[in-house]
Amino acid sequence: MTKDEFRMTKEISMPNAQTSPRASRWLLSAFAILHSSFSLLAESPRPTLPPEQRTNGKQTLVAVGKVAQPVLACSARIESLLGRPVCAATIVGIDGYILTKASEAPDLEKVRLKLTEGRTAELREIHRDVRFDLVLAQAVGLSKLRAANFGATRSLSHGQWLCSSSGASREPRIGIISANHRQIPGNGAALGIRMDEKAPKEAQGVRIIGIATDSPAEAAGLQAEDVILSIADEPVAQFKRVHEIVNKRQPGEYVEVRYLREGKEESCRVRLASRTKVIQNWEGEDFANGGISLRTDGFPDALQHDIPLAPSDMGGPLATLDGKIVGINIARVDRVTTFALPVESFWTEIQQWINADRHPPKAQAAE
Amino acid sequence: MPHFVPRFLRLTATLLVALTSVAEAAEQNDLASLLRIQAEVQKRLPQVRPSLVAIQTGGGTASGVIISSTGLILTAAHVVDKPGRDIRVVLDDGSVTTAKSLGLDQATDAALAQLKDRGKPWPSVNLSREVVKAQPGEWCFALGHPGGFDKARGAVLRVGKIVKQTANSLHTDCVLMGGDSGGPLFNLAGEVIGIHSQIWENRDQNVHVSMAPFLRSWEAMQASQVIKTWGVGAGGYLGVATRMSDAVELEVADVIDGSPAQKAGVRVGDVILGVNSDAMTDQQQFTATIKTKAAGDLVTLLLRTDGKERKVPVTLAQRPREGE
Repeated sequence: MTKDEFRMTKEISMPNAQTSPRASRWLLSAFAILHSSFSLLAESPRPTLPPEQRTNGKQTLVAVGKVAQPVLACSARIESLLGRPVCAATIVGIDGYILTKASEAPDLEKVRLKLTEGRTAELREIHRDVRFDLVLAQAVGLSKLRAANFGATRSLSHGQWLCSSSGASREPRIGIISANHRQIPGNGAALGIRMDEKAPKEAQGVRIIGIATDSPAEAAGLQAEDVILSIADEPVAQFKRVHEIVNKRQPGEYVEVRYLREGKEESCRVRLASRTKVIQNWEGEDFANGGISLRTDGFPDALQHDIPLAPSDMGGPLATLDGKIVGINIARVDRVTTFALPVESFWTEIQQWINADRHPPKAQAAE
Repeated sequence: MPHFVPRFLRLTATLLVALTSVAEAAEQNDLASLLRIQAEVQKRLPQVRPSLVAIQTGGGTASGVIISSTGLILTAAHVVDKPGRDIRVVLDDGSVTTAKSLGLDQATDAALAQLKDRGKPWPSVNLSREVVKAQPGEWCFALGHPGGFDKARGAVLRVGKIVKQTANSLHTDCVLMGGDSGGPLFNLAGEVIGIHSQIWENRDQNVHVSMAPFLRSWEAMQASQVIKTWGVGAGGYLGVATRMSDAVELEVADVIDGSPAQKAGVRVGDVILGVNSDAMTDQQQFTATIKTKAAGDLVTLLLRTDGKERKVPVTLAQRPREGE
């Protein structure tokens, strides 16, 4: 047996029914590994498919090497000014126009574009679209780029192979259309805290009584018993007010939270995430997911596929095996789900923004 | 000495398997074969999809698959938890009905449930009885309701490869998550070869119950029994070692003293022609066939001794423990 087999995931548990009425227990648990009972078989190792022969192994991917070329050519990375990976981008104009995932790149002045061959460029923000979670930008000073060759998604059906690239080295990855093409309703943003519904007698703030697993609040270091005084400079005295403030913001946005801990006033910056995922994963029900995007819902139209990608691969192109770009990966949702925006949903509108930017209306002389 | 022989058999089978999977890998590296896989999955999907069900037990949500027109469901033991339990079942089209859990095998996570009669046949799929064919490198596809039933999304498909086969399970790179439990893994013929059971950290570590424990304990599970252990090792114990003869026939190479085979009169040099109604042609197939039987099962060997065919009934025993 290999060492890997003993690496077990944590067991699922019941979510708190009060805080997460939508969440239900998902049955697929990791219990004591069955193999331990087969002592007689332990001496004869069973053949295991070598990693390179698996679905996304090197040998299998040889088949998509050629078709992956156009995909890789129009994909780029967004990285911090220090070179830390942020997300992926899709080149949509030979003169440097790119699209990326807006909620992953809230401030384009703090990031830059990196092309496959290594060149980097600053980004000029042109248009930010909350509905699609896309931001259109231009890489300053780059030209003659390979832009995405878009194809139609209408003919795609369950089981059709798709291809994207993953990681800083942009290796190809394959998967399939795995579920119905549909709208993904949004449910707002959340911090991932459970609050005391009674206003404290001391009349100050809102007391936290629980923190969701892998939530924005947990990442920012908030704890049970902290008392929230204000969010984004708005004072809060009731739990409903916290909902109101958080809900009018988008997943991916930062909010400043001031709070009391053991009588001492402190503050932290919390980056909001989609409420649906925070609630469904309240106690870590979606374990071993390899990381998920901050914003996972609220898309007018989405393709669902099973390509094994990371949150930092979002914003990059999705292609068919004949090399047509059919969408842009927009959210890593859980262990089995990635959403992509189908090209038809955004491209007409984005082209208008590109044209308007290329041909700005002539300045009117002041009368 | 008695223990050397069975181990040797296993080793032979292992080597055969390893050679096969290397040979198959070479032909899978072109685009055409990927597209062929796609075509086969897309052909099978509409045939098998109506038999997928979502299971709601009150404690959570999971999946299952209908394998007979009378409404027998295969699922995972940790889904139904105990026999006689009422479970809510959601069909692919969103209609809701109920089922009762039958027996389960806690050691391997296999379980059966029975849909209530609806006066017409249920949509169903076949299960693969040739457990040994599900070898590393074979393409397969998984269906299920990860995260629970979602009408707008529908069933979720995954396509991948078998990574490993063990006595009771298959490992694949079809990525599963909570809610998939109890759902079906199919071969490209559209037959059920596994039931989703558990996941480990890595995306290539998705574990399904193979058909072996279902086939072995079928009657006990249908009779609503809870199987907690099932003897030692992999299935029933016969007590013969085999070799391929010069005439490329399956031949008895050794018979273990005191084994069921010896008591039934099996002799060295006998040619094994069949087990029950199945013809036997190689060692791997023979070993696998015996492994799917449990201790206490009666099997009929068709042998040829000195040119004459004879039928020998043998009741399989528990595999002897090390040192006994």
